[in-house]
Amino acid sequence: MVELMKLNKRQAQAMTTVQAEQRGQYLAFSLGGETFAMDIRSVKEVIQFTALTEVPLMPTFIRGVINLRGAVVPVIDLSIRFGRTFTEVTRRTCIVILEVGSSEETCVLGIMVDNVSEVLDIGERDIEPAPAFGSNLRSEFIAGVGKVNGKFVILLDVNRVLSVEEMASLTAETPAGK
Amino acid sequence: MDLDKAKQTFIIEAHELLGAMEESLLAVEGQADPAESVNAMFRAVHTIKGSAGLFGLDAIVHFSHTVETALDRVRSHQLILSGPLVSLVLECHDHLSSMIDGLQQGDAESPDSHAEGEALISRLLPYLEGHPGAESPAGSALATRAKGTPPEPERGSWHISARFGPDVLRNGMDPLSFVRFLGTLGRIVHLSPILESLPQGPDFDPETCYLGYELDLETDADRQTLEDVFEFVRDDSQIRLIPPHSKVEEYVQLIRELPEEDRQLGEILVAGGSITAKDLEQCLQLQRAEAYEGGRVQGRLLGTILIEEQAVPPPVIAAALDKQKKFQERQAHDLKVVKVQADKLDKLVDLVGELVIAGATAKVLAALSRDGRMLESTAVINNLVEEIRDTALGLRMVQIGETFNRFRRIVRDVSKEMGKTIELEIHGAETELDKSIVEKLNDPLMHIVRNSIDHGIEPMEVRRARGKSDTGTLVLNASHESGSILIEVSDDGGGLNRTKILAKALERGLIAEGATLSDQEACSLIFEPGFSTADAISNLSGRGVGMDVVRRNIDELRGNIEIDTEEGLGTTIRIRLPLTLAIIDGFRVGAGNASYVIPLDMVLECLDLGPFLESEEHHLINLRGEVLPFLRLREIFQIPGEPPSRERVVVVEYGDLRAGIVVDKLYGEFQTVIKPLGNLFRQVKGIGGSTILGSGDVALILDVPQLIQSAAAVTR
Repeated sequence: MVELMKLNKRQAQAMTTVQAEQRGQYLAFSLGGETFAMDIRSVKEVIQFTALTEVPLMPTFIRGVINLRGAVVPVIDLSIRFGRTFTEVTRRTCIVILEVGSSEETCVLGIMVDNVSEVLDIGERDIEPAPAFGSNLRSEFIAGVGKVNGKFVILLDVNRVLSVEEMASLTAETPAGK
Repeated sequence: MDLDKAKQTFIIEAHELLGAMEESLLAVEGQADPAESVNAMFRAVHTIKGSAGLFGLDAIVHFSHTVETALDRVRSHQLILSGPLVSLVLECHDHLSSMIDGLQQGDAESPDSHAEGEALISRLLPYLEGHPGAESPAGSALATRAKGTPPEPERGSWHISARFGPDVLRNGMDPLSFVRFLGTLGRIVHLSPILESLPQGPDFDPETCYLGYELDLETDADRQTLEDVFEFVRDDSQIRLIPPHSKVEEYVQLIRELPEEDRQLGEILVAGGSITAKDLEQCLQLQRAEAYEGGRVQGRLLGTILIEEQAVPPPVIAAALDKQKKFQERQAHDLKVVKVQADKLDKLVDLVGELVIAGATAKVLAALSRDGRMLESTAVINNLVEEIRDTALGLRMVQIGETFNRFRRIVRDVSKEMGKTIELEIHGAETELDKSIVEKLNDPLMHIVRNSIDHGIEPMEVRRARGKSDTGTLVLNASHESGSILIEVSDDGGGLNRTKILAKALERGLIAEGATLSDQEACSLIFEPGFSTADAISNLSGRGVGMDVVRRNIDELRGNIEIDTEEGLGTTIRIRLPLTLAIIDGFRVGAGNASYVIPLDMVLECLDLGPFLESEEHHLINLRGEVLPFLRLREIFQIPGEPPSRERVVVVEYGDLRAGIVVDKLYGEFQTVIKPLGNLFRQVKGIGGSTILGSGDVALILDVPQLIQSAAAVTR
């Protein structure tokens, strides 16, 4: 069962700074059978998958928009963004709400994932740089590879994956038909 | 009291006063009886001077004092407000304005600013001739108390007696600042603080004011000026002014009424030169002889005290009463206007928006509950919400007249500079726009107006040769037009020269050789960056950096701009802006399994497509003889699936363009809050935002102008 988690961002940040850049906290989730994780500081909340309103003429990775307590938030299918298949909606599908962008311009987005598992505590020493090849993901999307309990978890660079400029330009390329 | 905040208020108010002053200055030239305008100007400078004094901004006080003196002379008909003087005062206004702006960087005056100020003052001096006493207060700035001749033993100075109320310090006033300020009005001959009221030891409260003083001031300022100095403490304190050359009796009265010991007061007055020692003895004897009611004078208004002391001659009393009445009227009027911080207003509009959505949700749930009383109650609530919505949005609306009026100054200055006479006509000044739109319109309009003056309107000789009147006319017009605002800038100048434009465009490689362009297309060329057919570049325009920026600004406001020109006759530039407020009345339609919203004020009518279909191939409908293009939402948005057998058409209008939007279903009217879609969706053509329906679903708001333009383009 997916729990409704509301993380206090500041608390999370405080915790990570107290640990003096030694350990970071990452939210692990699965997508298409693979496990990924992202820095918890970008995560605002995780919600169950709700009805989406589709926006026409958008590239396929933008699934649509949802109503998040009165705010209209776009939802992105990470699987398609990674060049894979459409994410099927199951009982466990969630939307992770993130805040991305620079300090001047932040943007709230949601990403669809198969399910969310846990918060991982990974020390800096356990993170290795992204492999130059081998992963079928674009290398700039990967912030590093973390080692947890002997297993490897791919850590995503959220700001690159969800770079608004890049996605907006992709949107522009999509034929706005007449 | 937070001094910074107070200073911010001072800066804002000073700018407002300067604005009023500029308006009066510009109006004066055309008026037969400029008395009211002159008074207005004088008051503006006077108030700025007074407030600046309270903050110790000596440079501003110094400068505005000279300007005020000149205006005072005009006011008392010793000086006529001629054209050159108006221009000079306008320059002084500009200098004051930059001084006020400079306050943001700190109180000290920059050496450049000082030099500029001195230059202006020296140009003002000839106008102040014959008024030797009102020379620049440079001589009577702060430190001059020690300078100058010893006090004359005559009653030649004003005697000011001040007993400050206990709350003066708490209210943020400093007794010393009054002394400083008085020092700038003249020469302080003598000053004695009154410290008797200071309690001993534990009774002493550091926040309570126990001070008073007796002060003698040699000045040419009038009573009103001196009274105004104490305006803020008048109510709590006892301030008495005795004019120079007053009789001994008045001083005696003063001594009687003040709470301190008579002899002591008498001695102070002697020291100040108000009365002589002999007079003092006389009056003290008198006192002992007479029955003395004694007691303090508690809280009487200064005006009343002065009148009762008969220190003011009767005609002056009448004038004072008149002024009091005017002041009260002004206060009453001022109360009608409340200053509100812009972000508080925004917050209010946001909350109202949320209220509208919540109201819609409640309505849907009430309908589901089928409870009659519930339904009625929510209906009442929704009505009230609608009213609040309208009022809240109305708060953000300002009249465009404010912006238009600013152009009077520009037209005046520029036409003088160009050596042309141009008359500015303003229509539709009451047309209201959202505050943010008005602010963003300022720059584009400025540029267009400058272009008209610089390039549009021909020099006098050319106009005469063409048989036109010597004076060129520039018209600014604003009006509402079916869901949008129309702003027009027209001139009766030479119009856009099509040949020249085409030649320049060819030169710059913007069009190909031998290309044929319609008039509209030719005119639109001027919006290309760097385009200018001006032969000479003035410091205003001609550099070619203007019109593309103008168009971009208008685009950002989701408006459009078009040019209507006729060579030799003139040019009209039309800017159309959508009235997109945060909360709109929308018309909900359905296509596929999604809902879309069309702004209601653009909707003309709704029909079934069938009977009106003219040509499916060319996408045309025949509306009672009028052939209109239509577009199908399903096609535009590539919605999968088959359209229903019975499709509907919503006929919409934007400006003078009309089209039909074909949809699957019609739902109806409803109020909604526009939620922006964010940067991600900025490029999508046809969608202008989103909204949340009562059911919680998101509906997309159609950008009708974009849709219409694309439909019209296809037909062409």
